[in-house]
Amino acid sequence: MEIKILGKGCPKCHHLEELTEEALYDLGIDTQIIKVKDIKKIMTYDILSTPALVIDKEVKCSGNLPSVDEIKVWIQEAGNE
Amino acid sequence: MIVITYITNLLTTGLGSLAAYLAAHVILCLLPAFFIAGALTALIPKETITKYLGKNAPKWVSYPASAISGFVLAVCSCTIMPLFAGIYKKGAGIGPAMTFLFVGPAVNILAISFTGVQIGMDIAIARIVLALIFGIGIGLFMALLFSKDDKAHHEATNNSDLFSKSAKIPLRIWILLVLLLSILIAGTLQVNFLKKSYIDVILPISGINNLQDVLNRLVPPNPALGIESISFHGLILIGLLTLFAIAALLGFNKIDTGFNFLTYVALGLITLTLIFASINLIAAPTGLMLGFTGKFFAETILLASLWLLMARYFKMNEIQGWLWETWHFVQQIIPLLIAGVFVAGMARAAIPAIWISTLAGKNTFWANLAGVLFGVFMYFPTLVEVPIAQTFLSLGMHRGPLLAYLLADPELSLQSILITNTVIGKKKTAVYVILVTIFSTLSGLLFGWLIS
Repeated sequence: MEIKILGKGCPKCHHLEELTEEALYDLGIDTQIIKVKDIKKIMTYDILSTPALVIDKEVKCSGNLPSVDEIKVWIQEAGNE
Repeated sequence: MIVITYITNLLTTGLGSLAAYLAAHVILCLLPAFFIAGALTALIPKETITKYLGKNAPKWVSYPASAISGFVLAVCSCTIMPLFAGIYKKGAGIGPAMTFLFVGPAVNILAISFTGVQIGMDIAIARIVLALIFGIGIGLFMALLFSKDDKAHHEATNNSDLFSKSAKIPLRIWILLVLLLSILIAGTLQVNFLKKSYIDVILPISGINNLQDVLNRLVPPNPALGIESISFHGLILIGLLTLFAIAALLGFNKIDTGFNFLTYVALGLITLTLIFASINLIAAPTGLMLGFTGKFFAETILLASLWLLMARYFKMNEIQGWLWETWHFVQQIIPLLIAGVFVAGMARAAIPAIWISTLAGKNTFWANLAGVLFGVFMYFPTLVEVPIAQTFLSLGMHRGPLLAYLLADPELSLQSILITNTVIGKKKTAVYVILVTIFSTLSGLLFGWLIS
């Protein structure tokens, strides 16, 4: 599974990182989160605002912060496929 | 000895500016403005405005929409660049994208209300109006100049549904925004029925005016540089804000996981600070004079309505999201602002007034250009441009060049030019920078000419 966080490093981006780490820890999954900070790379995704969470090339959310439970569901869905 | 006097003078001038900023009218302006910025970011779905920025939107919709979206969405820099690139590459094209980039930083609620209170409503309104007019102007001009590229871009964009989503803002969020805006306006508007005191109470506490004397000696007022001393009122407000800061650090930092006892304490303290700031408080020889102003009644009623609205119609996670955003704006901006005010205050004592008045004391083309160039090459954190501008004003800068500076500073910095460059390329960035320089200079000239 590939988990990416898109964002230039604002507080919201850091917070999304923390939430995602928490979700991964709770699920007992050991995956490195890839941080994408380059605006050019960020813009290849279909998003209008950061931070965004991308799991296996699919944008799960952008602009707003999801809850840890939501992130867990996304990770589990991606794991089942 | 001369060096020591000089340094003491610098420090007291800095301290005096800081004290003046902690006065009641600034608190009544900045506190609500932060909560509005937080509410706009957390509670307004971006789709409500982005649906007007798609590539199929007609020009007369997309240009005004991108101008307004700056007000609604662009309080945080992490929103500006992605949205700018999105509008440019997948949405309405280069014109509206440039309009958005130009207007966004100039019209955010924090900058406008802060400018209005500290420098004057004339400059604040001019900042909005001229940013809107010239923003749309620059957008249209760029679209015309690069119309070939734009056509190619339209054909290249696949049918992305990025801009087709729409969302509605629920009524309670409208009411919240209106209430917050009313709190801001009631606290800062200088009209008689709000300023007038309807009930006067004297608390017979002796020795209060001695305390005021001590404060005056600590931070001597200097009318020539526009420096006030700390009032007794200000001292209590500083105390309340310090208590709030402590409670907020413990109560707001983990706000996304839920409320704790200190969250309520912090919210209670901030309500109290706003109400207390709207009372007239004067230390007189006979005791402490309390004047219950129109402002006081307005703020109390509005704040009570706000609490009621929150308790009855808002979900817990909405309030958490709102407070989280607000608190992060505060953490990002306030420490830098305090440092900025202090340094800008010291600069008043350090920079000879003759430099500023020679360079920009009159409303000439060169004076305005100097204002713009200073804005481009100096990079100040959000809101710090306001105390800097105030320093210039007290050193004799004309209001025209001052506006030119205030327009250019948030618009163009070396950093933002570099990022824009990666999105739209060298040629377009160069044209944009030149246009902003010309338009900001003209804005200052026009404004300076209008007011004199």
